[in-house]
Formats: sequence, C-alpha cells, structure tokens
Amino acid sequence: MAEFSTSVKSSGDINIIYLKGYLDAHTAPILENTFSGLIEKGDYSLVVNFKDLNYISSAGLGVFMAFIEKIRENKGDIKLSTMSDKVFNIFDLLGFPLLYEIFKTEDEAINKFKEINKLENQ
Amino acid sequence: MKLNAGSIKNNLKFQSFMGITILFLIYKVFIYSPDSWILLIFNGLLTALTIFSLIIYLIEFSRSRKINPLALVINVGILNAVLFFLFTYSDSILSGLYNISTGRINQNIFDNLVSFFYSFIILVSISVIFMVFRELYFLKKKKSVSLYFNTMLVFFVLASFGALLKDIPDLHYIRDTFFIISVVLITVNSLKISWIAFIVKKDKISLLALSIVISVLFVANLINGSGNKLSDKVVIQFSPVLSQFFKIIMTYGAFYFTILFFTTLFHIPTAEAFDRKAQEVSFLQYFSKLITQSMDFKELTESLTEISAKVCNAHAAWLVWKDGEEFKAIANKNIGFYDSNILTKFIFESKNPKISDQTFFLNLNRFSNKPQLSDNYIHIAVSPLKAHNELKGYLIAVKKDDFIFDDEDKDAMTTFSDYASLAIENSRLLEESIEKERLEKELDVAREIQRKILPSHNPKLEKLQISSVFIPAFEVGGDYYDFFELYPNKFGFVIADVSGKGISAAFIMAEIKGIFESLSKTMESPRNILIKANEILKRTLDRKNFVSAAYGLIDLAEDTLSIARAGHCPVILIRNNEAQQIRPSGIGLGLDYSENFNESLEEMNIKLENNDILVLYTDGITEAKNSALEDFGSKNFESVLLENSDEEADEISKEVMNKVALFSQDNSQHDDITLVILKWKQNLKNNGVKEWQNSAPQLNPQVT
Repeated sequence: MAEFSTSVKSSGDINIIYLKGYLDAHTAPILENTFSGLIEKGDYSLVVNFKDLNYISSAGLGVFMAFIEKIRENKGDIKLSTMSDKVFNIFDLLGFPLLYEIFKTEDEAINKFKEINKLENQ
Repeated sequence: MKLNAGSIKNNLKFQSFMGITILFLIYKVFIYSPDSWILLIFNGLLTALTIFSLIIYLIEFSRSRKINPLALVINVGILNAVLFFLFTYSDSILSGLYNISTGRINQNIFDNLVSFFYSFIILVSISVIFMVFRELYFLKKKKSVSLYFNTMLVFFVLASFGALLKDIPDLHYIRDTFFIISVVLITVNSLKISWIAFIVKKDKISLLALSIVISVLFVANLINGSGNKLSDKVVIQFSPVLSQFFKIIMTYGAFYFTILFFTTLFHIPTAEAFDRKAQEVSFLQYFSKLITQSMDFKELTESLTEISAKVCNAHAAWLVWKDGEEFKAIANKNIGFYDSNILTKFIFESKNPKISDQTFFLNLNRFSNKPQLSDNYIHIAVSPLKAHNELKGYLIAVKKDDFIFDDEDKDAMTTFSDYASLAIENSRLLEESIEKERLEKELDVAREIQRKILPSHNPKLEKLQISSVFIPAFEVGGDYYDFFELYPNKFGFVIADVSGKGISAAFIMAEIKGIFESLSKTMESPRNILIKANEILKRTLDRKNFVSAAYGLIDLAEDTLSIARAGHCPVILIRNNEAQQIRPSGIGLGLDYSENFNESLEEMNIKLENNDILVLYTDGITEAKNSALEDFGSKNFESVLLENSDEEADEISKEVMNKVALFSQDNSQHDDITLVILKWKQNLKNNGVKEWQNSAPQLNPQVT
C-alpha cells in the first residue's frame, strides 16, 4: 500500500530532497539510498522538503538520525522545510526541533545555508 | 511377505509341473503301449497336461520380470538353434533305439528313457517358444485381444489331438481342417505386431537381422523335425499330439517372424523420428517431475542444459542469465567457461540483429575469435527464457563441425526453454515464500518476546484503578509499558515506543525493560531516570534507532504525580470533564546524547485530585487509520475519553478500543496499540475539601 518516492534538485551547493507519499519502515530504505547517494558525492548541504509527504513513522524519522552525524562532521546539515501540521507534530513530539532546524518554506532553509556560507567566506 | 507368497505360489506351480512329468515318465515306462487306444488317448492327455502345467509355470515366472521384446526374440532364436542342431545331429543316437522294421522304439527301459528325454527337450522348447509368442502377442496391445488368441489356442489343441487319428486315413481331414484353420488364425494373429513401434532404432536393426534368421530356422526345423526323419518318428512314437503341436508352433514361428521381418523393415525409415519424439516426451516427463520436486536453481538449470543438449543432439549447451545488464554463463554442459564466455560475448555484445524473442540460429563461420575456441563449434541455437513476459536469459546450444540445427531442434529448444522459464520462475517463487515464512517465524518470535516483556496483569492498588490494553500489530511495533510498585508508598509507570518493527524492535524493547526495571528501583525522579536511560542506551542503540518514552511516579501518600517525557505522546489528564495534554518537553531516547538532551528534559509535578484520569498511549491509537487513510486523531480520542470519564478505568479503555476498532475496521492495523488508563480514587472521607472543585490542575514545570 505504502508508496513513497524522493527526488533531488540541485541549487548550487545545496541539494533539495523532495519527499512524497508514506515514509515508514518499508519505504525508509528508499530515503536512505537517496541520502547515501548525496553523501557519496560529497553533498552535505541538504534541505528536505516535506510538502508532499503524507505520513512519517518512527523508522522514517530514524533515517534522518542515521546520517546527521556524518553530515555535520563534514560541516553540512540537514534542514527540514514545508511540513504539514501533522508531520510537524510527529517531529515536534520527539523533540526534533531541538535537533534540526525546521523552516516554513524551502527558500528560508536555502537562505539559511547561503548566510552560513557567506559568513564562512568572509 | 508378499514376495514370499509369490515365490511359494511359483514353487507350487513348478512342483505340479514336476509331478506331472514324473507321472508321465512312469506311465511311459511302465504302462504305455501304442497299441491300446485308451492308453494312446491318455498319453495325449498327459502330453497336453505337461505342456499346460509348464506354460502356467512359465507365465508366472515371466510375470515377475520386465518384458524386453528383443530379449524374448533372442531367446526364441537360441532355442531354435538348439533344436536345429538337435535335429541335424541326433539321428545317429536315435537310430540305436528305434526299430525301423516295426517302426517302434525298442521296448527296454534305457531306450524308453532316452526317447522320453529327447522328446521332453522338444516339449520344453516348444512350450517356451509358445510362451514367448503369447508374451509378444499381448505386448503393447491397446484393446482386449485375448479372444483371438484363445480361439487360436483352442484350434491348436484340436489340431494337436487330431493327430491321434493318424491310423484312420478316412478321418485325416478332421486333423487337416483343424490344422488349416490354425494356420489361418496364426496368419491373422501375426499381422498386427504393435510393439515394433516402441523400440529404438538400434534395436529395430538388430531385430531385422534376427527375424530373418529365426524365420529361416523355424522353416528349417519344421522340415527337419517332420517328414521321415528319425527324430519325428521318435516324437510321434512318444506322442502324436506333441508332434502335431510342434509342427503348429514351428509354422506359427515361421509366419510370425517372416511378418515381423517385413513389419520391422517398414518401420526402419521412421524409427529415428519416433525415437526422437519418444526421447523428447520422456525428457519432458522427467523435467516436469524435476519442476515439482527440485526447487534448487542450480540443479534445475544443470538438468535443463543437459537435457537440451541431448534433445537437439547438440555438443554443448549452457544458460546465460541476465545479471543487471550483463549476461552471465551458467550451468555449462560439455563446454568450458572460457569458450562459453567468448561465444556469449559474440552473441550478445555485437548488437546482433538476429537477437529476438524467438529461438534463433547463428553460425560462427565468420567469427574472428574462432581460433580461440577449443573446439570447432560452428552452429549456435539460442532460445530466450521469459518469465512474466520479462526476459530472464537465454538457453544456448552449439554443434561442432558439419552438424546443423534443423527445425525439429528449433521446436525442441523452444519447448525446453518454455519449460525452463516456468521451472525457474517456480523456484524463485518458492524461495520467496520460504523467505516470507522465515520472516513470519521471526515475527512470531518477536511477538513472543513482547508478550513476555509486558506485564501479565495490572497491579491492584487501593487508590488507583489501573486498566491496560495492548494489541500487537502483525509486524511487532515495539510498544512497551510497565508498572513498578515501589516501597513504601510509590507507584512508577512507564510507556515507550521503540522505533522500527519486528525482531530488532523486540530486542530493544527487552533492553528498555531491563533499564527501567533497574532504574525505577534505584532512582525516583522521572527526569533523572530518563537521563540515565539515555546514557545507557548510547552504548547499544544504533544511530537510526530511538525510543520515545514517558515515565511517571505517583506518591500514593502525598497524592502527587511527577512525570517526564522523552519524545513520547503526551499524557492526557482528564479532570472536571476537560482533557489536558501533559507535555513536558524532552527529546526521544537515543536521538541526542549531548547535554542538549538533559537540558531540554522537563519534569512536571501535579497534585492529583479525586477521579483524575491519566491516559498513557502510543501513536497506534491516534494513528489508527480508516479505509480513506485518515487518522483516528487526538480529537476523537479525547472526546471518547471525556464521554466515558465517569466510568471505571476498565470501562473507559473498553470504550476507547471499541471506537478505535470501529473506526479502523476497513483497514489493517499497522502499529502496536497500547492504552493505559489510571484513575485516581482518593479516599474522600479523610479529606473534607472537595478537591475536584479546584478546576485548574497545578502544572509545575520544573526545568533544571
């Protein structure tokens, strides 16, 4: 029943991952593969867009945890954006807002990355 | 036991044959005189009885063996050759015991015995030959034909007994009529020799040679053993019935084998095609057996290539299996991997225009790498293997030198590759179902672990009604709850949900139980317990796993609750017909091992009031889905709780579960469902103040 897919858009150094459908224990490996692929290429600035995500289970949340350490070690980050209230509530209950930056829109997340880059360049 | 019974029966038949023979011998030596009519007739009857008992024994004897027509024919040939030599060279021996002037055997015991044994050899030989004819006659006959054979047999007997009339020339016509009718029946019965078709070409050729030799032998023995030869005279003296029966059998043999010769001759041209079809059929039979019995992929593919090579007379065969975009050679038969790889490359990597989804042929005459091959392979046949209309690989066969593939080979290849596709698909499905079964077993284990971890019954407390419901999902969801009765007046409770599912979630659950079981006994503050639990989990928990949990401690003497939450669903407090979410902040266990976790974790303290209801649950309830994939949701949940807040704890949980079940009746349960309801029953007698009038609960977030 569970359909889930991801797509990735590059915007400069930043990659935006779009999630669609139901992210649970069965579909989590799809997202894992997406993350692995990006990390292998050395892309560590990632924005995840949750606009089309209908559902996320605990196993789905686990995927973000699996990669965050490696990404932050490489001075990158995963920023979350455009969550529906329902999805946000799940993240919020578990205390994810304390671990990840969550933005209302994709642009805000991208801008946040750009600001950091600017600061570093200065 | 059955075998024994059979052999006893056989023994009995042999013994009766021997008995009759001895009786016959005694009769011959001591009683018989050719001058008496009665004795002559009795002699004939004894002859018939001996032959009959012998044949009965032989039939029983041959029944236990598998009939091979060629072997039977060879037996007849050998017997005939023996008879031929007997007739040719026995005159010198016989002349001593036969008195030419009287036309009788000398009347002494020795000569009588010699003539008896001489005749007896002939009796046994023709009985065996007759038996063989009978076997050959019934071999591979589709219809019931025993009537024809038995009619013939009756006339054989009549014609044989007709020989008793030899001294009355006027009645010779009776004997001759029976004999002629017998011959006619022999001819008719010999015409349809159906078993020829079923023997292989090689055997047919030997049969052709054998049948001509044997038919000549029969004619020779017929001439040799009759007329005025001494041997015939001795046999007639012994028993005219036997002599006549001998002639009939020899005639039968001469006819049968002549006809056999021609029948075989006509079958020779089609023999090869027949052999091939027969082989194909037997291979297909073998293969369908293989499909149902052996599900081992390797064994299957190897039998397949072996059979394919045989059926189309190819020198070598192998399968190529699609592995990603590459074709890999497997199950090679009569060809090394080096050669098969060169050829596979040649077939598939040169953008071959001939590649299609039908069987196709190629030849290697213009193949530049041909010198690299260890054999002079020239012709290749390739047949695709498809399952669910998807190309899985190819079956490839090669022939050396001047041998080519013809249309029949093409048909055979196509048939076999179809079968192979089916077999391979079957074995794959089986492997899948085994995997599924393995997973189900694993889940059984996980559910069993979970069942043992969860409390088997609810504690009974004076001031607290406790009700709990747990419904596991098919794939164990990792829900955990527990109660701790702590000395002297404390009551701890925990609810947790492990991320992920199945056996791994069940193992983490077991660990969590151990952690809370021990921490609850050594520490009191829920916040400290959760911080400690997070520390312990750091050592074992996988990065992508985490646990949401809430821990609470009720002081039964002080009527207070302290509670901390690590990422778990909020606890619902029902008081004065209002639902409030108790949601102290906190990150899930295992998500963050830094100070961040400790700093963000709050503990709340609440003064409990009479009829306060605390509801602990996991997201299995709020995320229970209906057929439209809508969630049951916290609004529905709270309204059921409020509607039933006056009921006992058990009643409330029952109502909640009913509502959840009703809501999600058209959808399967995807996650564990846990619901724990604690209802505070304060002893009002000791307390003059009606506490429930204090409408607002005292929530005291204590951030440290």
